[in-house]
Amino acid sequence: MGLAGAKNKRKLGTDPNNTKWSRNTDSFGQRMLRSQGWEPGQYLGAKDAPHAEWHTEASSTHIRVVLKDDQLGLGAKRNNGDECTGLDAFQTLLGRLNGKSETTLEAEQKAREDVKLSLYVERKLGTIRFVKGGWLVGDQMKEEDVVKGEEPQKEAEEESSTSSAVEEVKEKRSEKKSKKRKADQDADESSAKESKKDKKSKKRKTSGDTETDDDLAKAKRKEKKRKQRKGSDEQDSETHSTSEEPAPAKETTKDVETSDLEPKKSKKEKKDKKDKKDKKDKEKRRKEKRAADSESSKAGDDISKEKKRRKDGGESTSLAEEALDTSVPSTGSTPAGSGYSTPVPGSTKYLSRRRFIAQKAMAFADPVALNQIFMIKS
Amino acid sequence: MADRKSGVKRSSVDGDDAQDSKRMRMGNGDANVKMNPYLAHHYENGQSDSKSPLDVLERHNTTALQAVKVEDEDVNPWTGRPHTQQYFKILQTRRDLPVQKQRQEFLDMYHSSQILVFVGETGSGKTTQIPQYVLFDERPDLNGKLIACTQPRRVAAMSVAQRVANELDVELGEEVGYSIRFENRTGPKTMLKYMTDGQLLRESMHDNDMSRYSCIILDEAHERTLATDILMALLKQIAARRKDLKIIVMSATLDAQKFQSYFYDAPLLAVPGRTHPVEIFYTPEPERDYVEASVRTVLQIHATEPEGDILLFLTGEEEIEDACRRISLEVDDMIRESDAGPMKVYPLYGTLPPAQQQRIFDKAPEPLRKGGRPGRKCIVATNIAETSLTIDGIVYVVDPGFSKQKIYNPRTRVESLLVSPISKASAQQRAGRAGRTRPGKCFRLYTEAAFKKELIEQTYPEILRSNLANTVLELKKLGVQDLVHFDLMDPPAPETMMRALEELNYLACLDDDGELTRLGGLASEFPLDPALAVMLISSPEFYCSNEMLSITALLSVPQIWVRPNNARKRADEMKQQFAHPDGDHLTLLNAYHAYKGAEQQGEDMKQWCHEHFLSLRHLASADNVRAQLKRIMETHGIELVSTPFQDKNYYTNIRRALLAGFFMQVAMRESSNSKVYKTVKDDQLVMIHPSTVLTTPYDWVVYNEFVLTTKQYVRTVTNIRPEWLLEIAPVYYDLDTFEKGEIKSALTRIVDKVRRRQAMKGGSS
Repeated sequence: MGLAGAKNKRKLGTDPNNTKWSRNTDSFGQRMLRSQGWEPGQYLGAKDAPHAEWHTEASSTHIRVVLKDDQLGLGAKRNNGDECTGLDAFQTLLGRLNGKSETTLEAEQKAREDVKLSLYVERKLGTIRFVKGGWLVGDQMKEEDVVKGEEPQKEAEEESSTSSAVEEVKEKRSEKKSKKRKADQDADESSAKESKKDKKSKKRKTSGDTETDDDLAKAKRKEKKRKQRKGSDEQDSETHSTSEEPAPAKETTKDVETSDLEPKKSKKEKKDKKDKKDKKDKEKRRKEKRAADSESSKAGDDISKEKKRRKDGGESTSLAEEALDTSVPSTGSTPAGSGYSTPVPGSTKYLSRRRFIAQKAMAFADPVALNQIFMIKS
Repeated sequence: MADRKSGVKRSSVDGDDAQDSKRMRMGNGDANVKMNPYLAHHYENGQSDSKSPLDVLERHNTTALQAVKVEDEDVNPWTGRPHTQQYFKILQTRRDLPVQKQRQEFLDMYHSSQILVFVGETGSGKTTQIPQYVLFDERPDLNGKLIACTQPRRVAAMSVAQRVANELDVELGEEVGYSIRFENRTGPKTMLKYMTDGQLLRESMHDNDMSRYSCIILDEAHERTLATDILMALLKQIAARRKDLKIIVMSATLDAQKFQSYFYDAPLLAVPGRTHPVEIFYTPEPERDYVEASVRTVLQIHATEPEGDILLFLTGEEEIEDACRRISLEVDDMIRESDAGPMKVYPLYGTLPPAQQQRIFDKAPEPLRKGGRPGRKCIVATNIAETSLTIDGIVYVVDPGFSKQKIYNPRTRVESLLVSPISKASAQQRAGRAGRTRPGKCFRLYTEAAFKKELIEQTYPEILRSNLANTVLELKKLGVQDLVHFDLMDPPAPETMMRALEELNYLACLDDDGELTRLGGLASEFPLDPALAVMLISSPEFYCSNEMLSITALLSVPQIWVRPNNARKRADEMKQQFAHPDGDHLTLLNAYHAYKGAEQQGEDMKQWCHEHFLSLRHLASADNVRAQLKRIMETHGIELVSTPFQDKNYYTNIRRALLAGFFMQVAMRESSNSKVYKTVKDDQLVMIHPSTVLTTPYDWVVYNEFVLTTKQYVRTVTNIRPEWLLEIAPVYYDLDTFEKGEIKSALTRIVDKVRRRQAMKGGSS
């Protein structure tokens, strides 16, 4: 383990396995067993039992246990970053030394290259999802179940799930948009979405709401703000849609190559990524909303806002890029060759952090809250 | 010995005495009515009272057709009462069970062979139907011999018995009954008896030939509990002696061959279950964090897969609660952000109160609005959901490939409870849970290579993982002399056997020739570990048998302390109220006394326990266990004595009495100002478990258990004085048997001190 590894001191006794006891041939237990015809090294149990072939190691000595004090998944190695690199070039040589045949070596080599290539593409551009489209049999399109065979069916299965996700996302988007449009039409009435938002902001406010006489004024201000927010939301959704729309179209063209390149990529990975992407998408939407919020807020502390916007802008441009070629956003955080199928965090830990930051920003954006923080009575 | 036997039998029935007599009266009444010639016209339609529909069934020569005909009759052949409407409704569903199609085949095999291995997948109906098929063939009404069907779990025995009683249209406890460790619901009319495997083993200690039974069915044999393994070996012997005893071993498909070859190549009957295909998914690469990965997988399923409930396997209470929280939070987010369907998340583990366990059977939530996405439920469970419980509606299974396993190490005498990889068989069982209602999917959070290479074939049976002291004592009592060649399916490691023999020898349950002593015989009457039993038996010598009885009962139920995550501090404060500065055993006793006191004052016990962070369920079951043990003590003439509470030796006596059974579980502090203790003789370094109430670092402690969880801990400890060790267990603390070291020198000092003091006393007097 490297110096950076977690310290894990454990005090061991002088005889942690108590070999003192097990070596003691004079103990009562051993005397008893010997007197009944047992010899060291023998199994207990009936002689020449027909079921003896099923006996395991555990019948000869106690079961060894390993103290597992991490959450490493099954089969994962602890020191994954520490592995020797650059051995690739010698793999063939080493394989030959180990007496592997030429054909297997070639196959291995090819597999490695495939992985490398797919990793490269994945990191550079990200993976793309596909929509199930049935089978072309002869010159007619068929449903998937017409074609027999395990492999294609499995794939289809996978595709169906991904496709449903894509549809889901699309659906959601259109739904949202229509909602907004409607909301625009009857500007005075608050749409479902708005009311939801309203509730949120109200909640925030009521927490610190003192019963002052300027409730009315506040309400007015709120209304104003709401309108503003709505406007920005609208804008935002439009940019959103423009940035997203071309993506699916591109998908199909690119897809074919990548899928050919990555024959090994299993559904799980894909799904994971898609999952991640969905999350990111969501987050992006959330963030943009927030950015808009902050924009619409009063023109106080310009500097901080500027800073924030720059930050947001930076992120959102990268996000936009991602959206354009629908790349998988895991690239940045996954260390090269980490070899884990779950993309490295960005998830819960950062999510909560981001949420915290957003909350802070929101508080800053809220004049009433700010006034309360600075104890200004308006 | 003879009076002891009868005593125990009586004691096991005692609990239901009142009910039994009532039942008997009712039964008699029925019989009288039937015999009464003046009422014969009541029973006219079809069959007269003298002619039972069962007459067509010739013992050991029945056909499925005949039995089906009898079942279709309007009158219940076993009770003589007409069948209820309910009966025919159930009969309809019974006829649809897969096992029904092979009834004739089963009977043919049953007639032709003494031992039969029966393999039925889950959902085949084997647990409820096979015993009934046997019932119609054995005709227990003719020879008065019972049919026994064993279950590994108490709950299963109870619920299956209830179900079968309904199916046969009889009262539970009459023709069909059950018997579990501290509860017996059988009566004089009982013909079919569901029981735990441990219970049958206990019975056989007094009835070495199992002569009460004409057929014994071992259900769920593939679970390979300790008791089932011993029973199989015993039955193999008994079958050779008693040719009229029939044995059916029922198992899941996985290792049927092993069972067959074990039982002299017994014939095998396989019945397909009602399962649907399950699609297996692996990850392409290992996961770095299996909890994180499983949470994500669940969310992903929720987001992308069609309707269907999710079952996630994790390892322990804490992990499960944590995962539940995380999943619920994320799902809330999902609903807020992107209109996902609702999802209810339920934890499931052994120590969860039954009411909460029951919640897993709730229906999945409705969509949030009409036409919205369907809701689903997600159950996060330990491996009790692997076999013990069947939850319908599960379509997706998420399997990280780990479970917690208890493993005993005979060398260090530590019991480890560690997270370890499951077996292939176990992984298949988990996956199978997804295919109960319709084709499902199982997501394994490991690679296919890991599945093939890193997982063992079968989970180790309990007999290879446990301390065998109790088992060896039982075997001795069962008259098994040759322990070396006792024909177990999987013989335990020789060292485990040695350790068990050695412990029993030190406890004086076995003499130096390995024969059962009087004390050993007495100890085997108690359904307890030998150390506990010996402690209880010798407690009158210390004038505190009442107290030791309570402590024993409290030690043989799960932890009575409740420590919810959100109120740990308050729970600990409450526990401090009961704390005794000398140790946890005494603290347990204080809590129990407080509980009884509150009960006597007529408090609302539910409320009281809730306020004091105690588990009412476990306290109540400790109370029940205590009553049972008390009865056993009374029948064996063990005095129940106490000193008055004000006696200055009240607690000292108890601490000394603990040593009478637990002198082999003593640890000495390594050095002053160290927190590390060393176990006596085995020299293992241990820490006192943080749950202790001890604040003073005493030099010598006795402990109830030695476990390896994250560290090597001793749990439930009490302060003792080393002089007592030399006095109470002089054989074990014979200084010549000790290796050189701190413990030996410490003990030598004590011996000198005692000697000097005695000399002084002698000089002064």
